[in-house]
Amino acid sequence: MTGLEFGELKNISFFNDYSDDHLKIISKISTIKEFKVKEILFEQYDQVSDLYILLEGTLSIGISLAKEKRIHLSSVQPGQLISWSAIFEPQISTAWVMATGPTKVLAIDAKKIQMEFKRDCEFGFLTMLKIAKTISNRLSDTRFNLMNQLTV
Amino acid sequence: MATESIYKVLKASIEEVIDESPLIKTFVLIPESPFKFKTGEFIELTLNGFGEAPFTPSSSPLITDKLEVTIMKTGYVTEKFHQLKPGELLGIRGPFGRGYPVENFFGKEVLILGGGCGLAPIRSLLFALEDIRDKLKRVVLCYGSKTPTDCIYKPLFSRLNKIDKFETYRSVDKPEPGWNETVGVVTTLLDKVNMKIENTIAVVCGPPIMMKFGTIRLLEMGYKDDQIYLSMEKNMSCGVGKCGHCMMGEFFVCKDGPVFTYGEVKNTPDLWK
Repeated sequence: MTGLEFGELKNISFFNDYSDDHLKIISKISTIKEFKVKEILFEQYDQVSDLYILLEGTLSIGISLAKEKRIHLSSVQPGQLISWSAIFEPQISTAWVMATGPTKVLAIDAKKIQMEFKRDCEFGFLTMLKIAKTISNRLSDTRFNLMNQLTV
Repeated sequence: MATESIYKVLKASIEEVIDESPLIKTFVLIPESPFKFKTGEFIELTLNGFGEAPFTPSSSPLITDKLEVTIMKTGYVTEKFHQLKPGELLGIRGPFGRGYPVENFFGKEVLILGGGCGLAPIRSLLFALEDIRDKLKRVVLCYGSKTPTDCIYKPLFSRLNKIDKFETYRSVDKPEPGWNETVGVVTTLLDKVNMKIENTIAVVCGPPIMMKFGTIRLLEMGYKDDQIYLSMEKNMSCGVGKCGHCMMGEFFVCKDGPVFTYGEVKNTPDLWK
């Protein structure tokens, strides 16, 4: 399946601050992927090669203590980024992600976007800021959750 | 009418006791004479022979012949309250403190972030906002509880979702079978609601940890200090700023609050303790 036109990308909250030129780059290096209910996008410790932006549906992020014991940590809302591990060596996912309903995601090729970062530093800086913000929010939510558990 | 002396107790009989969750009950009280309060103000609830404790009513401030108080079992007095049955008598003192300045919300979107039993004062605020909804742009409630079983006022959410301008979202830390809403801490829901931040008032009420992380996330999102209202219901005892038990920096929570803007209290040491 092909990706979204750059005009359609403008409606995705993750890309609010991107210029048309930036969105044209994203459009060229991304595709749309669809997942069914309970389909796993990737497992914890999988090698991941795409950054995903949730377009439609809902996703659940979690970790596993054992393969049969999945712990749901957080829901992902449309417009949010997942699979940030694809940008960083060694590209190993820190959690599993499951579709909790029929789901559509934008899959951005991580290798190609990194090449674009080298070519266009402003694009790279903007994207890395957004990835850092995503990781920061997840870390903050995890601390919040941990504090909740510790004070029971 | 509120009692004239701060020490005078207004008798109230228990009409109904509603189990909200394993640790939380709502008591529907019938005061012996009409009792007025503003949303966010609190009362001292007295149980003869056992003591009294401060609670913010969870019912509509527009109703004066009936009062609802939601109580979480946390200690000796609250455990005694939980043993009460319909027909038994309680005493009410108050109302005390400073509630929500709802007139400041006119023309704005209102984002309410609640956690656990913090939904009690928020429910009263929601009733008040429902009454003035023509003057508001939008009211969004984001509520988090540990599990679906711990979620209180379950019928409230579907009722509010049917009211024009109102939206509600729920999250739980730990889902149970059949839960098909958001999983995660309550701040997860902030990614779901698209508020016009520059024209939004945010209200935060819940356990201290939730209030801390919720406020930090709102500030990161671009909310200004004075756009965030906090209900700092902690350590209140006498209700009139005399015992010093609730002292928080330069403020007495019971007298100067319990509702503050974040801007008013942000420099207070141990704000979230």
